[in-house]
Amino acid sequence: MAQLADVEETLKRIEAHKGVIGTVVVNAEGIPIRTSLDNSSAVQYAGLLQDLTMRARSSVRDMDPQNDLTFLRIRSKKHEIMVSPENNFLLIVIQNPCE
Amino acid sequence: MMEENHLKCGFTDEETGSVSLPSVWRKNQQSAQDSKACQTVVLHSADVLVQTVSVSSSGSQTEAQDQEQPFVQGDHAPSAPGLKEFLQRVEDVVTRELVRNAQSHAFHGYQVKWEEPSQQVSLLHHLHPPCATERNLHVSCVSWSCTGSRIVCGYGRMDDGDWSTQSSFVCAWNLDRGVLSRKTDLMIDVHTTVTALSCHPTYPALIAGGLFTGEVLVWDSSRTLDPVLARTGMLAESHREPVYHVSWVSLGQKKEDLQVLSCCSGGKILLWTLNSDPTRLVLSDAFALVLSQIPHSSSFKGRGSSSSSVGVTSLAVSPWDSDTFLVGCEGGLLLRCSFSCQTLADISSSSEQAVPLRAPVVFTFTQNKGPVHSIHCSAFHRNLFLCCGTDGSVHLHSLLQADPLMSVRVSDCYLFQVQWSPSRPLVFAVATGQGEVHLYDLGRRSLKPSSVLQRDGSRQPSTCLNFNSHNPRLLAVGSADGSVCVWQLSAELTQQDTREGGTLELIANQVSE
Repeated sequence: MAQLADVEETLKRIEAHKGVIGTVVVNAEGIPIRTSLDNSSAVQYAGLLQDLTMRARSSVRDMDPQNDLTFLRIRSKKHEIMVSPENNFLLIVIQNPCE
Repeated sequence: MMEENHLKCGFTDEETGSVSLPSVWRKNQQSAQDSKACQTVVLHSADVLVQTVSVSSSGSQTEAQDQEQPFVQGDHAPSAPGLKEFLQRVEDVVTRELVRNAQSHAFHGYQVKWEEPSQQVSLLHHLHPPCATERNLHVSCVSWSCTGSRIVCGYGRMDDGDWSTQSSFVCAWNLDRGVLSRKTDLMIDVHTTVTALSCHPTYPALIAGGLFTGEVLVWDSSRTLDPVLARTGMLAESHREPVYHVSWVSLGQKKEDLQVLSCCSGGKILLWTLNSDPTRLVLSDAFALVLSQIPHSSSFKGRGSSSSSVGVTSLAVSPWDSDTFLVGCEGGLLLRCSFSCQTLADISSSSEQAVPLRAPVVFTFTQNKGPVHSIHCSAFHRNLFLCCGTDGSVHLHSLLQADPLMSVRVSDCYLFQVQWSPSRPLVFAVATGQGEVHLYDLGRRSLKPSSVLQRDGSRQPSTCLNFNSHNPRLLAVGSADGSVCVWQLSAELTQQDTREGGTLELIANQVSE
């Protein structure tokens, strides 16, 4: 299907960037629908980060109701996790930045 | 005449009937009385005998799910409407951030201190069972349990030289309970010196041990009556010489199916299973090292003729590749072996072996100048391992080449054990014969020890050490005076830096062409 090919292509382009360890696409129920990691890690990332994104979004909107969350980045010792939130989907990209 | 008129009157008793007077006010209290009786019906009983003619039994068991299942895709594609549009929308944003991140130096060298960094290395506990001093026993091996709260120590004397009949013991302290009482949590008497110990990686109660007589035992510390769960017994095919190393390995298809791997100075490496017979360890696989079958061993002078066996003093299983294991021998030979080799060992045995002995050696590294006391594979890089022996240096080897990548001169005396730190890829600890424990950090430019742990006033050799993988700040060191010290390491020795993985890669890639 053309749609499927487009989706795969887009994800491959994202994963080809320097330092990207993996990507996870999560649907509205918190289930990973596309990932380049193994199943158990993908499920773990999806569950934990969806909660965190909802919490971040509600914090932003509580402080200013006109405001909304556009992007979430978590920097840890080993790598950086970037979350692109939406109503229905969540795109999680894990990158190992250069030091 | 007067006398005749005297009447004769006789006084007799006369009885009148008794008179009863009914009470006017007292009444009989009994109101009503009713009698009933019941009787059970007669019980009918009958005897019948039944005999099973045929028996069949079957069991069922859930299998653990395969952890590395490939992700099944394609089913969700049609049912995720809007996925394509979503990705198109976010791709630009994400790409911009990724590119910017790859070039940014914003967090370069930025460290966050989540805990109070302790600069000190301190001695937490000094544990000493009273019976060790009476019998003059050394600590021969220490092992932390899988939960990290209990330390198990094996005792014995190994410097006697000849066959000793002295009984020793295995004891354990539970450090999480508070060590104020200093009482041992568990004490198992063993009839001979314990030379090797290993705690099970998932069941905290199981401990595997090897003895000086060549027996391999598994103790279950949750059983109060008899802690011995299984033993090998003295069979023709079991070890006949001191067992220097035991460890739990998982080689089968199921990851929980752990077997005990043991090696002895008779040159045999045996694999035992627990499952089939609950009281005996059953031999499932056997390997033998024969000098003539070791490649490139022409410079090695073994004991006796070239068909003799080579005694094994240490063993390490690679955590990355379940097929590879490393063996250190008495004469200094360092060998890489494989579990799946098929060649039979060149040993003439008088009795028929139920399990044929195989020759496992695949590759020979540069020979050490004395028996190799300890080998340990790095958990952070698949090719690196450390070995130490009696020549006073620790050698860092790569699996890809015969010569060591680096040699660190530790001291003039024997080195008994070396182990990588479980939390920092570049740090390892060495137990020396002078009682000191040296901790080295390969990330430093100078190869002096970053820390030297020494208990005051003791020059007895430190015979064994073990890092606590659950709490990587704890290091247990056993010494020849029968005591075990638990050291708490400083934060810089235990907390991983961001660049360590890269530095380790660089060291590993120094393999000469």
